[in-house]
Amino acid sequence: MKVTKDKVESSQAFLTVELETAEMEHGMEHGYEHLVTKANIPGFRKGKAPRAVVERQLGKGRLLEEAIDHLVPEYYEKACKEQGIEPYAQPQVEITQADPLIFKAIIPLPPTVELGEYQSIRLTPEQVDIKEENIDAVIEQLRHQHATWEPVDRPLALKDLAVIDINGMVDERPYVKKAAAQYQVLEEVITPAPGFAGQIVGMNKEEEKEFTLIYPADYPGKEVAGKEAQFKVKLHEIKEEKLPELTDDFPCQISAELKTIAALREEVAKNLKLRAEEQARMDFEEKVIMAAIEKAKIEYPAVLVDMEINRIINEQARQLQMSGKGMDEYLHSINKTPEQLGEDLRPVAIKNVTASLLLGKVSEVEKLEVAETDIDKRIDGMIMGVDEAKKVDMRKLFDNPQTRESIRQSIMARKTIERLAEIAKNTGKSGEQKKEDVK
Amino acid sequence: MHLYEVLRRPLITEKSTALQAQNKYAFETADGANKPMIKQAVEKAFKVTVTGVNVVTMRGKTRHVGRRQIQTNPWKKAIVTLKPGDKIEFFEGV
Repeated sequence: MKVTKDKVESSQAFLTVELETAEMEHGMEHGYEHLVTKANIPGFRKGKAPRAVVERQLGKGRLLEEAIDHLVPEYYEKACKEQGIEPYAQPQVEITQADPLIFKAIIPLPPTVELGEYQSIRLTPEQVDIKEENIDAVIEQLRHQHATWEPVDRPLALKDLAVIDINGMVDERPYVKKAAAQYQVLEEVITPAPGFAGQIVGMNKEEEKEFTLIYPADYPGKEVAGKEAQFKVKLHEIKEEKLPELTDDFPCQISAELKTIAALREEVAKNLKLRAEEQARMDFEEKVIMAAIEKAKIEYPAVLVDMEINRIINEQARQLQMSGKGMDEYLHSINKTPEQLGEDLRPVAIKNVTASLLLGKVSEVEKLEVAETDIDKRIDGMIMGVDEAKKVDMRKLFDNPQTRESIRQSIMARKTIERLAEIAKNTGKSGEQKKEDVK
Repeated sequence: MHLYEVLRRPLITEKSTALQAQNKYAFETADGANKPMIKQAVEKAFKVTVTGVNVVTMRGKTRHVGRRQIQTNPWKKAIVTLKPGDKIEFFEGV
């Protein structure tokens, strides 16, 4: 065996391994032994045919294939040992010559992380403040949600709710046919056709109208895009949105506990603030991590990114499955091939990989640990909403080494991010205090 | 019968490969062939010296064709012993 180390680059080692004839022969012998037990050769029981017969019957190529399958892993391992390489993941092997065997292996090496001066990162979290108009907007939304629709006697206007019969024809064939449909008259709605709302505005109760609309070429409904449609519409009823008055009665409709407008405003402000703070915290943590990545020197083999891409795609596929859609359908709807989707995900995957490598290193340097009790607590949290009777079963479901390990990892990541954030904010002074903050 | 019609095909089985160690080779032969004919035929075809010929008539087997039982044809097997040192290359690496 001859091993040449071509180069080491971006956490990948490139090896070329050449085998000698005797080693080849050994492999061939092994290949024969493997094949003969399965090969069906007339005149011989399985495993009893001599090598010459097997070679003649199945061809030398098959034997060689079998030999290579056996030789590559064996000599790959030997070559790694000889070169003192510790592979981090499965290598990419390319066979350049079959007999005697020469193969090239690209071996991913463990990623290296040099943290750099992450202690010196100083960032200030953004201050959250909730403006009055934000609260007003939310309250306005609430009013719309609790609005009542009341019939009125006047020509149809935008934003009204119309009860109408629609009869639409495309190419002499019926396309839409609805009786007594509730239709909110909004300019931007493109069903049943763009401009439909504009046509029916101004109609009176019990009025009938016929008109023609042309679908634009880029209309989402493929079968009618670019075509002309005739509509017959009969208006039955016009309803107007009646917003609830902003009196102290209004909050009661939303929640019995809210007695006054002031209380409602306060509640809305509280919720908004919580959400904004959460958002700000996430943004801040994101920034801190990015800053730490900037300072650190992280090298990792490319396969890690590919693995991450696969993981994300699998995750998406699983979610799609749950919503009852297949991955193929989804890809079709966004008009992409799986490869394109993978490429789109690449930047995200790179970020995930670097971030997780960085966090792993930080937690190591900072000597962070996850207590078993924390894991127990998390499991308790997960099974909180379950019936008492099922609790034991559920606990069994979660309380196993694998799940505990994944919970440990997620808590660890959380802790590390928080530690980084603290350092950046420059709050935690002593080790003791830090720990308490984390909790 | 022409000499070329005597040997039908070489017989390559577990048993016959084992016999090769004793310098014996097996053939399926024509039904009408006899020992001298087989000897001549092997010597001519493979350029070797034959020191002995053993002949066996192999019984036909009972086979089913649908619901019917039929008998496959019996055939003749010849085991030829060669002069020490001679070899039939044809069998090598078969």
